[in-house]
Amino acid sequence: MKLSPDKKLDIEEVLRDLEHYRPRRKGWTWRRPVAEQPIGPFIYQDTSENLEHSVPLPAARDFEEIDPQCDMVITTEIASGRFEDDLRRMRMAAWHGADHIMVIRTTGQSHIDGLIEGTPEGVGGIPVTRKQIRATRKALDAIEDEVGRPINFHSYVSGVAGPEIAVLFAEEGVNGAHQDPQYNLIYRDINMHRSFVDAAESKKILADAGILQLDGAHNANATAKQAWKVTPELFVQHAINTGYSRAAGMPAELVALSTVPPTAPPAPKLRLDLPYAVALRELFRGYRFRAQQNTRYMEADTLEATVTHVLDTLISRLSSADIQSTITPDEGRNIPWHYNNIAGVNTARQTLMGLDGLGELVTLQDEGPLRETARELKERAVLFLEEILADGGYYAAVEAGQFVDSGYYPERNGDGIARNSQGGDGAGTVIPREPGYGAPVCSHFGHNSYNTGDGKACAGYSGCTLCDPSKIRYIDEPDLADTVEQRLQQPLAERAAGLLRPEVEKHGDNIVCVTLFVPEQPAVAEAAALEMARHMGLGNPEVISRRIMHPAEGSVFEIKGMLDVAINISELHLPEQVAALPEAEIEAWVRPRDIHVVAATVGEDEHSVGLHEILDIKHGGIEKYGFHCHDLGTSVSIERLLDMAEKTAARAVLISTIVTHADMHRKHMQHLHDAAQQRGLRQRLVLVAGGAQVTDALARAHGMDAGFGRGATGRDVASFLVRTLRAREAG
Amino acid sequence: MPCVERPDDFEQRRVRLRGMTDAELHSYFWDLVDKLVAPLIEEARTHTSPSIERSVLLRMGFSSLEAGALVTGMHERGLLGHGAGRLVLELAQAQGLSIRAAGTALLAGQHWEVLPL
Repeated sequence: MKLSPDKKLDIEEVLRDLEHYRPRRKGWTWRRPVAEQPIGPFIYQDTSENLEHSVPLPAARDFEEIDPQCDMVITTEIASGRFEDDLRRMRMAAWHGADHIMVIRTTGQSHIDGLIEGTPEGVGGIPVTRKQIRATRKALDAIEDEVGRPINFHSYVSGVAGPEIAVLFAEEGVNGAHQDPQYNLIYRDINMHRSFVDAAESKKILADAGILQLDGAHNANATAKQAWKVTPELFVQHAINTGYSRAAGMPAELVALSTVPPTAPPAPKLRLDLPYAVALRELFRGYRFRAQQNTRYMEADTLEATVTHVLDTLISRLSSADIQSTITPDEGRNIPWHYNNIAGVNTARQTLMGLDGLGELVTLQDEGPLRETARELKERAVLFLEEILADGGYYAAVEAGQFVDSGYYPERNGDGIARNSQGGDGAGTVIPREPGYGAPVCSHFGHNSYNTGDGKACAGYSGCTLCDPSKIRYIDEPDLADTVEQRLQQPLAERAAGLLRPEVEKHGDNIVCVTLFVPEQPAVAEAAALEMARHMGLGNPEVISRRIMHPAEGSVFEIKGMLDVAINISELHLPEQVAALPEAEIEAWVRPRDIHVVAATVGEDEHSVGLHEILDIKHGGIEKYGFHCHDLGTSVSIERLLDMAEKTAARAVLISTIVTHADMHRKHMQHLHDAAQQRGLRQRLVLVAGGAQVTDALARAHGMDAGFGRGATGRDVASFLVRTLRAREAG
Repeated sequence: MPCVERPDDFEQRRVRLRGMTDAELHSYFWDLVDKLVAPLIEEARTHTSPSIERSVLLRMGFSSLEAGALVTGMHERGLLGHGAGRLVLELAQAQGLSIRAAGTALLAGQHWEVLPL
C-alpha cells in the first residue's frame, strides 16, 4: 500500500486482504539523533533526521520552510471510537511530527475476560481487536513510508486479559504498551493477585517482542486532589512496576517511566515540578522516560492548557526525556478533535525547537532549593517503602489504603484507595501450577516443564505463532451488526458523490465551533451567545468554553454546534490557479524593456517586510528579472506614489497594505484606483496590492488588477506583470 | 487495617536517612524495592490464570474464541493447574493428532476423560 500526498487514505484498500497482512517489524524504534545538524540557515544541537514529507511550523515560511525534528519521540493519543476515522488523524499527526501513536481503548475493555474481535464501535476509545490493530498497523506502515520515519504504534496491556493482549501485540507489530498491574487494581478494581500474576506473563511477552513498556504511575497525578503531594508515592509506584518488570525478564532499555509534571500555573510550577523531575531521573538512571503533559488542571480553556504544556515540555528539556507525550488542549472538555491532536503535537514540536541547544546555555544549580527538594522527595519515597515492608508488604499496603492518599507522605489523610486482596474483578482465578505444569510456547514466564534450557519450549510441535506467524488465527467479524464496513457505507457514498461535511472527530459528525464575544455580564452574555449560535443555524449549540473578560464588560465563548450541510465539491467555484512563468521567460521579456515599477507600503503603516520579499533581489524578488524598482518605503501616501509613477514613467504600481483596522486595506486599494483614474494614469498602470489579508478577488473588487496574499513570491508577481503587460502590448 | 490520618512527621523520620550519601540512598531505595517485589514475582512464577492459559493457546495457533472455550472447559474441570497448552499437546501426542485437531476434538466434547495424561 502506497500513499500519495495529494490523495486521501483509501480505507477500502486498508481493509483489503487484511487476513494476510503481516507487520514489517517488531519492537520500538527511537529517532536517530544528528549532532550539529545544519538545517536551512541554522545549526541545531538537539535534532534527529529530517522527514521526507511534513507540514512545517507556521513561522517556517520565513526560514526557508525548514522543519527540524527534535531528538525526542513525540506522542499523540488518538481514539474517537472509530478506528477508520482515527487513521486519517494519525496521518495528519505524522505530518506534524508525531511518531508515537497511542490508541486509547474503549470504556470497559479492562473487564472483558478475553479478546474482542471484529470492528465494533467504541466509546472514548476503540475496542482493541486483532482486525483493528492489524488495519491500523497496515495504515501506519504506509504513513511512515510517506513521511519517511518509523511510527511507533501503542496501546494498553491491562485488564483481565493482559497476557492475551500482549500476545496480540507481539504478533501484530505493536511497538509500545502500557503495562502496570498497579493500574489494574487501584483504578479498575481488578483483583491484585490476578493483576500481578498476569503482569509477569505480559511483561515477558512484551520484552521478547522488543515492545517498549510504559507504566501507569502518572494516573495518580490525575486522580489526587493535590497532585504535587502524591509525588513521594509516584516514586514508589514507578519502582514497583520497574522492579517487577526487571524480575519478569524485561531489560532496562524497554522500561519507560510515564511521568507528569504535577502542577499548573498559577501554582509555582517549575519550583515544584522541576526538583521532582530531576529526583526521578536520578533515582531511575538507566531507564527511559516518557514525559507526559499535565491534564489534572485542564478544563475548557485551550490556551491555558497550551501554556501549561509548553512549561511541561521545558521541564522535559531541562531534566531529560526520551518521549515527549502530548495532550490535546481540548481534552478537558471533550473527546479530542482532529485538529487539537495536531495542536498538541505542535506545542511540543515548537517548544522543543525553540529550546534547541538549551543544555549549552543553562545548567541546573548544584545547591539550593532544587537539590534540597530533590533529596527530600527521595527520602520521603524511601520512608514510604520502609513502611510498606514493615506493615506486611505490597498487598497489605493496598488493603490499608496507602495509595493515592492526598497526604504528602508521611502525612496521611486517610482518603487513599483501598482494595481487598481477595476481592475485585477476577478474584479467585489465580491457580497454583501443578508440579508438571507446562506451557509449550515461547515468551512464557515462570515454572514451565517445557523450559529445558536447550531450545525453544515450542520445539515439541511445529512451533508457536511467535516463531511461525502463519499459525495466527484471524477472525474477521464475529458480529455483522456492528462493523467498519457498515459504518463506512454513508461516508464512502458521500465521498463518491463529491459531498463534504464539516468534521471534528468522525466522518460526517457535522460539528463546528464558533468563537463569540458578547459585551454583557456573564449569564446574559452566555444566553445571548447561544441564541446567536442558533441564528447562525447551528443545531444543539453548546458552550464548551467561557472566559470572563470583565464582570460587566463581557465574556468570550466557544460554542460547538451541528451544521448539517453537505457541500457538493463540483458546485464550488475555486479561484483559478495560475502557474508562475519560467524564470528565464520572465527575464527574457523584462530585461530588454527597461520597465519601471513604483512600490510602497501605503497609509500609516510601518510594515516593510512583505514588500521587501516581493521586490528585493536578495529575497528572490522581481528586481532579479530586470525590473527597475523604486521602493518609497513605509507610510507613503497614494499621491506621492502616483507622483513617482508619473516621474519615472512606471508601468506598474505595487502597494503593500498590512493594517486592516477600519478596513484600511480596502480603502487604500480603492483610493489608488480612483486617484490613478483622476490623473489619467489608470490605463497605463498595472495596479497590484499585497498583504496578509489581501486576496486576488478582494483586490479586483477594489479596483486593482491583481492582489497577492500570504505566501506569494516575487516570481508570482513578476509572472502576473509580464502576462498583463505582454497582453497590453499585443493589443 | 485502614490507613489512619497522620500529620507530616517527615523531619523526625528522616533523621536516620540524613547521613546517607545520595548514592547510598539510591542503593537503599532499590534494596527495599527488591524486597517488596520478591514475594509478588514468586507468586507469578508458581501460579497461572485463565488469561495466561488462553494466551498460551493463542500462541499454539488457536483463535481467541477457541482458546476461550477450551480454557473455560479446563477451568470447570479443575485442570488449568497443569497448563492448557500442556493438556492439548499431550493429548495430540497421545492420540497422534495435530495440535489443532486435538483442540478441536476437545471443543467437540471428546477426550476430556483422559485428561490429564
